[in-house]
Amino acid sequence: MGFGAEPARIRVLMLNMPTELLPVSKLVLDNVMRNMKVSASSAVSKNNDPQSDTVEFDIEGEDSGLLIGRRGESLKALQFIVNLIVNRKTEGRVILDIEGYKERRYSSLRTLAKRVAERVVDVGQSITLEPMTPNERRVIHMELSENNKVETESTGMGDQRKITIYPASDKAD
Amino acid sequence: MKELIEYIAKSLASKPDEVTVTEISEEDGQVVLRLECAEDDKGKIIGRQGRVAQAMRVLLRVRAVKDDVRASLEIV
Repeated sequence: MGFGAEPARIRVLMLNMPTELLPVSKLVLDNVMRNMKVSASSAVSKNNDPQSDTVEFDIEGEDSGLLIGRRGESLKALQFIVNLIVNRKTEGRVILDIEGYKERRYSSLRTLAKRVAERVVDVGQSITLEPMTPNERRVIHMELSENNKVETESTGMGDQRKITIYPASDKAD
Repeated sequence: MKELIEYIAKSLASKPDEVTVTEISEEDGQVVLRLECAEDDKGKIIGRQGRVAQAMRVLLRVRAVKDDVRASLEIV
């Protein structure tokens, strides 16, 4: 899955970061990872927008697989804890990615969405997917928003929220 | 392992000096971390619906892999 490829390294000069968000979050993230004894390092993402109130980091290293965890579980926990600690000290949001995991995950979700939608149309019955994060669900809703043969809907609460894909004829007027 | 939980809990607590983590090695090789904190910090450290405690357990599991042990977290 492209693990051999060496990611391009781009040095970004930070000019207009409005708060101390960047140094604070970098310190917190590195402290948590050091205490986890994982072999990995963080750098501000090339996607990071210095004008926004979010800061994005890319993490890479030997332990990246371990840090991602099953279906991104560890990455999600790390991002959650880092945000909590950072928000005790300053405002803003921290987004983490590990060696492009999120983009890979989103692209596999787009493929899944298309495949399941075809199946829903063929069989004429709705299919419910496994629980997903808000961003993951957004990717699926977006992917199928222009497919007029199916409709999508999220149901359930919190971590258990999941998408059902329906044949459009069920709800068509 | 206790340093990880200590760091997170102290960072979240309003009374970090009252946070203590004790590492107990069970006979079966499992490690239990007992986290104690001020009563009014419990909510922050456990989180709504236990979300913070749950996330700490996930990170602890990663940390435990590095020592090749199993670890669990108790908040008392």
